[in-house]
Amino acid sequence: MSELVINQSEFSTERATLEKTWAPARGVIGWLTETGHKQIGMRYIVTAFCFFVLGGIEAALMRIQLAKAENNFLNPDLYNQIFTMHGSTMMFLFAVPIMLGMGVYFVPLMIGTRNVAFPKLNAYGYFIYVAGGIFLYVMFFIGAGPDAGWFSYVPLSGPTFDAGKRADTWAQMITFTELSGLIVAVEIAVTAFKQRAPGMSLNRIPLFVWSMVVTSIMVIFAMPAVMLDSTYLIFDRTMSMHFFNQSEGGDALFYQHLFWFFGHPEVYIVFMPGLGFISSIVTAFTGRKIFGYTAIVSTLVITGFLGFSVWVHHMFATGLPQLGQSFFTAASLMIVIPTAVQMFCWIATMWSGKLRVATPMLFVFAFFLTFTIGGMSGIMVGSVPLDWQLHDTYFIVAHLHYVLIGGAIFSLFGAFYFWFPKWTGRMYDEALGQFSFWLLLIGFNVTFFPMHILGLRGMPRRVYTYQPGMGWESLSRTASIGAALIALGVLMMLINFAISRRSGVVAGANPWNADTLEWSISSPPPVYNFLHIPVVSGANAVWDAAPDQPYVTGMRFDRREVLVTKTLDAEPDHREEMPAHSIYPFILALTTTLGLAGSIFYAWWFVVGMILTTIAGIGWFWPSKEDVREELRREMAMEAVRD
Amino acid sequence: MNQRVLDVSGLSHAPADSRALIWWGNLAMMAIEGTVFAMAIATFLYLRMKNLDWPPATVPKPDMLLPIVNLVLLILSGLPALMSDAAARKEDLTAVRIGMALFILAGIVFLAIRFVIMANIGYKWSDHAFGSIVWVVVGLHTFHVLAASGENTLLLIYLFVRPATKKRYLDVRCAAVYWYFVILSWLPFFFFIYVQPWMHRKGM
Repeated sequence: MSELVINQSEFSTERATLEKTWAPARGVIGWLTETGHKQIGMRYIVTAFCFFVLGGIEAALMRIQLAKAENNFLNPDLYNQIFTMHGSTMMFLFAVPIMLGMGVYFVPLMIGTRNVAFPKLNAYGYFIYVAGGIFLYVMFFIGAGPDAGWFSYVPLSGPTFDAGKRADTWAQMITFTELSGLIVAVEIAVTAFKQRAPGMSLNRIPLFVWSMVVTSIMVIFAMPAVMLDSTYLIFDRTMSMHFFNQSEGGDALFYQHLFWFFGHPEVYIVFMPGLGFISSIVTAFTGRKIFGYTAIVSTLVITGFLGFSVWVHHMFATGLPQLGQSFFTAASLMIVIPTAVQMFCWIATMWSGKLRVATPMLFVFAFFLTFTIGGMSGIMVGSVPLDWQLHDTYFIVAHLHYVLIGGAIFSLFGAFYFWFPKWTGRMYDEALGQFSFWLLLIGFNVTFFPMHILGLRGMPRRVYTYQPGMGWESLSRTASIGAALIALGVLMMLINFAISRRSGVVAGANPWNADTLEWSISSPPPVYNFLHIPVVSGANAVWDAAPDQPYVTGMRFDRREVLVTKTLDAEPDHREEMPAHSIYPFILALTTTLGLAGSIFYAWWFVVGMILTTIAGIGWFWPSKEDVREELRREMAMEAVRD
Repeated sequence: MNQRVLDVSGLSHAPADSRALIWWGNLAMMAIEGTVFAMAIATFLYLRMKNLDWPPATVPKPDMLLPIVNLVLLILSGLPALMSDAAARKEDLTAVRIGMALFILAGIVFLAIRFVIMANIGYKWSDHAFGSIVWVVVGLHTFHVLAASGENTLLLIYLFVRPATKKRYLDVRCAAVYWYFVILSWLPFFFFIYVQPWMHRKGM
């Protein structure tokens, strides 16, 4: 293990050359031209976390409103906007981008390459995402915040019942965020399939990378559905089309079908990276090879497939044929099987390994507990008779927060603690970390467990207030107190990170003695990632490395070269040169934003935006003279070798 | 102890074939857009299922001459695309230029004919759901023809003013593959706009 690290302390000239070649851009303009995957990935993570805080503030406002009966803290209109903003922010601006951001940061490090496959496109995707988030919040603050829920069903969000620009704002925010999500998905899938270090055949890919690959493929086939759906909605609203207009041959229910064809895979897109975090943490904290690697990979893939065959269970209350109900109930319950297989694999790993307990591992336990409870209530709402009873009640709110916070956020926070030393080079404070963990776990259960009972007692979701004497008051108040504990827990985590970042104990390259390649390089990672591209000889790259583990030589240090390997066996295939920093992703993002944001006011803005984007695209494509000269030089050299 | 190494200095750069990264990016792009198109077809089928009249009674039976001419033109434009694809493999710059110029030209003529067809189609997108989906599908496809032709024109101009390197030959091949996609994706739409509704006109 340590050999890999020691090797990298030598070669000072090579390191200096690499530093210069891959140097991050400087200054404000430089910031806008950055194309490094670690910088872009970290921007995704930080930006998405800011949106998490905003979404959390919205949740807190709702909990204050609901803390007592007939409260006047928020008026009904504002309440509608707040719960819509909360759901939309958490799903589209936090959960998906932060998971994909973790992928952008860690996938290239774990597979041993220097950057993602399309660095400029990657930067563009980030700017588009930020633009979508800013667009949503600007519209909210000028009074046009969407108010029809995070899935904005028609006809409520249609032209008849939602005048003004509110639903257009929501629908166009979808276009921004899904565009960015699709870009990241392509980046991750291509990078993971083509740029793995030599020797990292398909059966040696770290489980986190596998989970990101499956996530990316799900994104590629799920997100187009919602983009088309929200575009139909905009067309209905702004151009008098009739996709969802019952009286002119449209169909309102079709909106729900298209939405949930995306929406259910979306849930898996959010928690599947979480499964990857769990596998990484469990492997490191038990110090053994994961039990059932092949089983876990296959269940990830199976879950990905099944995720596309269950969407109608969100629509049981819409009146479906009996066969449809039975089919989608059966398909939904089938998800239990692959999920359980993974759970048993992790349990077997912990059982037979030397289990250490620290904050990341505690979050893994919290994941087991809450995700299992969420799975149980999932079985309940997966059966049609019970779903009819519980549909649109707080039981659903409880269920979805148990699976999403349990599945995605606990594993994500565990991952934050786990990789904090890699990001900053310093350890977080363990005591404070555990304190924050308990606040979060207790706060979460105090907030959301009572909601099961509220739902069973008939409290509908999305009501801005309720009458006294319904039997909902004490439980609602309890939930509000729990929300305060969650807020405190998140605050503790941030304080911990803020302090430890400067004054934590120096961590070294591999404080957890973990197995994946990012731990073989210094913390924080050098800008070029690896001095020499490593050669991998096992599924646990760092543990399986021999004392004289070979590495790759013959790559240029003075050009931004990456090694492309074969998809199945990762044998070296050829070299590709990555583009340098560029301002064009930012410019294209500006012109795209102009087109998309403008088009909800006046359709021709879209045309204007596209024309400007095309012009800017010329600059994006046109290679610099120096690059062309370099290419010609290279080709001549190759010819010479051949002759 | 001797350090073992894996020397890759003899490996070539960016081959102009399916091993290249951009080739995979191109495939992923087509997967995404193919999904959008599949969803649009689902829209056709779903709306047909939900409507008693499909297409609505006011929609006239289309004049098939220009749509068929345009379809044939689009399919034939695959030949110069194939030609520039094959020429790029052999790094034959002249043939690449001719092939690209031809299929760009075919794209422009196709767009002009389509403009005439749509100007005379006889219903608006705001008339009924059938009108909405037809216009959206045609719009989507037109957008793709337009974008692809624009990119191809840029690439062709580049090939006249700057030296052609392997990377640009790769771009030519990707452009050709993308053009096949633009051709193929029109076939199901043609079926659902011009053939299927009139085979068993629902409600008549």
